[in-house]
Amino acid sequence: MTRRLLLLACSLCLLAGMAQGVPCDRDGDDTLTAPELATAILDSLDVRFMGGTAAAPSPVDLRDAAFVYEHWDGRALKITDTSGRATTLTRPLRRIALFNSDTLEMMRSIGVEPDRVVGVSKYTLEDPTYFPEYRGTANLGSVWSPDYEQAAAVRPDAVFLYATISQSSCDEIEETLLSIDPTIRFFRFDSYRPAVYADEARKMGALLGTEEETERFLAFHGSVMNTVAGRIASIPADDRVPVYLESWNDYKSAGKGSGYDEKIELAGGRNIFADTTVEYPVVDPEAVISRNPDVIVKIVGAGELVFGGYGGDDPAPFEEVCRTIESRPVWDRIGAVRDGRVHVIHSDVIGGPEYFIGVAYMAKWFYPDLFPDLDPRAIHRQYLEEFQRLDYDLDKHGTFVYPA
Amino acid sequence: MLPKRAVLLCILVFVLAAPAAAGSIERIVTPSGNGLDITLTLTDIPVGGIVETLPDGCTWTEADHPENRTRVSGQQVAFAVIGEETIRYRVQGPPDAAEAFAGTWEDLLTGESGTVGAGEPRNPGPGAATAPGTPGFGCAAAIVALAAAYRWRCGR
Repeated sequence: MTRRLLLLACSLCLLAGMAQGVPCDRDGDDTLTAPELATAILDSLDVRFMGGTAAAPSPVDLRDAAFVYEHWDGRALKITDTSGRATTLTRPLRRIALFNSDTLEMMRSIGVEPDRVVGVSKYTLEDPTYFPEYRGTANLGSVWSPDYEQAAAVRPDAVFLYATISQSSCDEIEETLLSIDPTIRFFRFDSYRPAVYADEARKMGALLGTEEETERFLAFHGSVMNTVAGRIASIPADDRVPVYLESWNDYKSAGKGSGYDEKIELAGGRNIFADTTVEYPVVDPEAVISRNPDVIVKIVGAGELVFGGYGGDDPAPFEEVCRTIESRPVWDRIGAVRDGRVHVIHSDVIGGPEYFIGVAYMAKWFYPDLFPDLDPRAIHRQYLEEFQRLDYDLDKHGTFVYPA
Repeated sequence: MLPKRAVLLCILVFVLAAPAAAGSIERIVTPSGNGLDITLTLTDIPVGGIVETLPDGCTWTEADHPENRTRVSGQQVAFAVIGEETIRYRVQGPPDAAEAFAGTWEDLLTGESGTVGAGEPRNPGPGAATAPGTPGFGCAAAIVALAAAYRWRCGR
């Protein structure tokens, strides 16, 4: 019985998907003009309110036409996602499913309303402090363990996946869901990589019709990044602060081209293991001592160091991590330890869509004299209040950096 | 906390939490010669539709709205809205018909609909509750309620 219903639902979806052109484009030239839209509106009003009997567009067609006219200049929209795949849309996406919680966060930044989201990953649901509005939304599982039945049952127009994480798992999700419903569109965005962050935001803004909100958010994001970039620009490469970054695993650092290497560079630092081609190398403690970093940045929030972030108010574990690093054998010879420049940062503000907050913190740690007026905490607060629309008091909750 | 103070606080919370009115249309009717000039002022309705019902005794004359965005049928007039912020039209009829105009509108981007002149949408579309905007009628009503509660608290 359930299978029959699913088949029926898929057939209906297929029929709906067959209408490929821009809705209400009467002359079929693939461009919805103002006169065509006006005629469609008047026909609809005539039939519904004035006793008219002329053929009128359905309410769905009319709303879709209004969206296409207002946001896409009356034409189909062609979007190339971060994986390089081009998709052409003639109607807005009204039912969005996401396996990528970073993209969900970016959607919130660019003003996408939660009522368009019909399914989210289990990680989103496991974080009600940060995603309170998605309590009760369908749980799609994860990229590694997707719930296909649930994903098909929510009848998404589009499914959002990561572009560069777990590509084979994402490929499998696409193949399986397409075999159930061939009309589903798939988009792959990362939403956390600095190199494509603004480009991805703009593409999603165009796709979802939130262009103005997207530009407002990118202006905020750009003001932080440009402030940092502008002030560090004059520092010669050889004079940049040498930095040792360690992930939540002891001695696991960041090699050339890794995300953290990129973020150290953005903050004006010089990664002491940038000559390593392995993305995340496990380094010899002696090598850290010999390369003598001026600043050490330790990341917590994952692995065996799961504490802090939005769900943890106690700074004690951060302090303990800091003291443990400082007391490693012979590390008192390292400049960063000697000068008290060991910093701990939570992955929430450096590893995901909030990376620019982490970059602001690091820039201030690297060059305190250059950034006396940069207030990463204020940036964080503005991000949460204005762009995440979260009722979260940073003065009372959360632990993100140590020393604060 | 005193119970009355708690009531005041609740009302204040309502004022602050009241969903912002996204779209609205105001109607101003001005007698002119042997007819009436009607001005509809639209707020935050970029693409939508309006149906105005003219009072008995009034007959349609003209509008400044494009002809291909206007349709008249008996006592009803439909306007297609595509970016306009004001629509002016004229009817022939007695000045005392000014209060008898009725109208409805819908925003095709948000799904909201409402009554012309009513201040805020009667059907806040999906997402309207969190849409940014300035507080509208709901806020004003809450302030009135706050004032009433204050009077009640003061025993007046």
